[in-house]
Amino acid sequence: MGETMRQLCTIAMLLLGWVVAGQAQRYGVNLNGAPVTELVLPGKRVLVLFFAASDCPISNRYLPEMERLQHEFANRGAQFREVYPNPGDTTSVVRQHSTETGDATDIVIDREQSLVEMAHVTVTPEAAVFVRDGSGLHEVYRGRIDDRYLDLGSERPRAFHHDLENAIGAALGNKPVPQPGGPSVGCAIVTRQP
Amino acid sequence: MMMNRLICACVCGLASLFVAVKVASRHVRAADAPVTYAHQIAPILYKDCTTCHHPGGAGPFSLMAYADARRWGPQVLRVTQSRYMPPWLPEPGYGDFADNRRLSDSDLDLIRQWVSTGMAQGDLADAPAPPHYNATWELGTPDLVLKTARPYTLAASGTDVFRNFVLPYPLKQTHYIRAVEIRPGMPQIVHHANLLIDRTASFRRAHPNDWQDGVAGMELQVDAGSMFDPDSHFLFWKPDTPVLMEPEGMPWRLDPGNDLILNMHFKPSGKPETMQAEVGLYFTDRPPEKQPMLLQLEDDEALDIPAGARDFVVQDEMKLPVDVDVLGVYPHAHYLGKDLQGYAILPTGEKKWLIWIRNWDIDRQSVYRYRKPVFLPKKTVLHMRYTYDNSSTNIHNPNDPPVRVRAGNRSVDEMGHLWLQVLPVNQRLGGLDPRILLEQEWMQNKLRKNPKDTIALFNLAGAYMGEGDYQKAAATYQRELAVDSGDTRTLTALGVAYEKAGDSQQAVEAYQKAISLDSGSMDAQFDLGRLELNHDNVARAEEQFRAILRQTPDDASAHSGLGLALLKEQEPEAAQAEFDKALKLNPQDATGLDGSAQLAIASGNPAHAVDLLEDAVKQDGKDAEMREHLAMAYVQTNRFGDAATQLRAATTITPDDPMAHALLSQVLTTTGQLQDAILEQQKALQLNSNDADGWNNLGVLDAREGKTAEAREAFEHALRLEPNHAQARANLARLQASAGKF
Repeated sequence: MGETMRQLCTIAMLLLGWVVAGQAQRYGVNLNGAPVTELVLPGKRVLVLFFAASDCPISNRYLPEMERLQHEFANRGAQFREVYPNPGDTTSVVRQHSTETGDATDIVIDREQSLVEMAHVTVTPEAAVFVRDGSGLHEVYRGRIDDRYLDLGSERPRAFHHDLENAIGAALGNKPVPQPGGPSVGCAIVTRQP
Repeated sequence: MMMNRLICACVCGLASLFVAVKVASRHVRAADAPVTYAHQIAPILYKDCTTCHHPGGAGPFSLMAYADARRWGPQVLRVTQSRYMPPWLPEPGYGDFADNRRLSDSDLDLIRQWVSTGMAQGDLADAPAPPHYNATWELGTPDLVLKTARPYTLAASGTDVFRNFVLPYPLKQTHYIRAVEIRPGMPQIVHHANLLIDRTASFRRAHPNDWQDGVAGMELQVDAGSMFDPDSHFLFWKPDTPVLMEPEGMPWRLDPGNDLILNMHFKPSGKPETMQAEVGLYFTDRPPEKQPMLLQLEDDEALDIPAGARDFVVQDEMKLPVDVDVLGVYPHAHYLGKDLQGYAILPTGEKKWLIWIRNWDIDRQSVYRYRKPVFLPKKTVLHMRYTYDNSSTNIHNPNDPPVRVRAGNRSVDEMGHLWLQVLPVNQRLGGLDPRILLEQEWMQNKLRKNPKDTIALFNLAGAYMGEGDYQKAAATYQRELAVDSGDTRTLTALGVAYEKAGDSQQAVEAYQKAISLDSGSMDAQFDLGRLELNHDNVARAEEQFRAILRQTPDDASAHSGLGLALLKEQEPEAAQAEFDKALKLNPQDATGLDGSAQLAIASGNPAHAVDLLEDAVKQDGKDAEMREHLAMAYVQTNRFGDAATQLRAATTITPDDPMAHALLSQVLTTTGQLQDAILEQQKALQLNSNDADGWNNLGVLDAREGKTAEAREAFEHALRLEPNHAQARANLARLQASAGKF
């Protein structure tokens, strides 16, 4: 059973294996409107992107959980970014939202939805985990944070399986990364109009 | 009659035509024309979604404008197709409910088409005007606003929170409530709220240190007090129904000393939220004409669900002792509830569904009110059949892995209740409140499941008290004391039952035992004082009332009781001082009003007595004795017609009280209505045939009506009862001397 799982995880890693050039690229702007050119700071091996929307109730309910995970993993080599990809989430809207929620995570306004494209996410909240690989990043996990929401309107009283937490821990430990046990549930990311 | 039916048919026809036109305007479009927001979608959203989804509303986002609908279109599609939204759990066809929020299949089809074809706007000029939602009180400024003592801050994350906030009713008068608006302060984080009436402030007393901050708990029990007082209403808040208007003639009541308890269910939003709930009350001067009560089916004793059980069934049934109209239903379970059924089997054997929820979800629970009352005749059997899923496939299961779950108040415990609000109808019970029979059946049903259920025993005894069966009540209290011998409240109630049954000695012993077990048992002390007063043991009565006042100087009833004792001791000034203190503490204290009225009459001021007693009768129109006293005050001011009105009301309330009939007879005699006076005196004597004065009075009336033989018989009857009755003897002699002319 353990062998089978390991094989499955490896296959999933290969499927998700997405190499991104890590240099000289722009990844949206921070809350001050300054371009973000470096997603992963030196010394960090793992990048966690948390895709959020200021007006999505499920996304907002996960902010404390993301804060918990950041607290748990930030000193172990993980870099956390909270990404706002929707057109309505301008810097001023997200700044206001961040003030209200007391959210201290590094925030990126993904104006061009380049991070959405890079991570292949479709809803908020959804997370992606990348591992630094030389000059690039390999995506090793994409999906739900945990199993509290199984569908819109289908919610557990509390989460039992912490998919993202397990994935980050595995990535930091150079172990096969377990994949999400179910779909991401939340609000569709609003497609940017050309 | 024919005219009415004709008008009705025309009105129905117009209504049908209107609906047909309205529906047609929404749906008629060319076969290839796209579904647009303006034409088809906005009307659906305005009808079924924006009551919550408007700025400031309970929904997490607005759906008031096209841009909103477009932003949330994919989610709207998903949650409507799955019927998660609008929130509506009852299965169609199993109960006809008011405010049914279930979307029609055609509306679902329109939403599906609209989203799949790109969510076109259409010409906004064709869209209906958006509804307007008040940011302030829906019905205008309430007569009274109650606010939770302190703001409450809900943590940013975690499991749902269930909390109970106490709102003491601060007024010193009883008020009837025709409507209530609950403003939870932060509606976006509140799933639902229940407003309960705590008649005895028991919950606040049980939580003296934390009631102001709210007390955690999914369910709560309050002490309804010792009186049979079953008037009960569903006071349930959910996001789309901020105002609860009671049906005409069915207001609910708040008395001085009552508390309201707001039982709230919160869902954390991701950031700390601070809220302070308010409750706005709208009064009416009109007391209720119809008094419903809530019935509950349950079998919490049987709720013991093994870990992993997928189809664990709990059932209950209860036979109705009277005809009722069912007005509403509130099914309730926690996280393991799956399939909730409520139905009735009529005496004919026909099955009538009350509600069926196939996929229970505690987050979307609600009270459901029937579009029309559901009539259920006597001998109908009510049924509850709930199925629970305690396996890991139940996504609502709070335990992983599943564990054995039993009944309890915490969210990880389980519950299975089916509440019904019923209104007794078609009653001919000789003045007996039919709800007493419902209460008896309900409690006996509980006792069949658990013979040692002390609450059921206490309530059953209270229902026997209400019926006037004091022997049975005393026996039932004794049964409860066999389970819990140290319950001072039951001992006190037992004393009252003995007292009513005419056994003063046993009553005194019961009160004294309660006091010996708990020297702070004020009710026992008060009842003992009252009993002593009624038996003219005035000094002992005074001692009891003073003992109460040493412990609770602000007890209005003890002050007025002491006033009565002092009045009997011929100390009118001291008595008046106590009545004044009582009325200052509680302007509606009946004994204080009555005692002050007696003193006003004695001091030659009957008009003031009338004012006081009119106030007392206004507060409690069912107090026959108070009406008799008011009638006597009217007599003192020569208002005989008003006196007769009060006495007629008194005889309606207590038709078996000979005194009321006798007094009415005397007033009617004064106003010259001799035939009616004779009838009333005869009724009084039917109820108490040993009243020599009454026979004498009847003789006088018969003689004045020229009924010589009847008059003679009446006087002789009085003399047989009391051979030395001087007036009867004199009247008989006068009748004989005047040869029939009186």
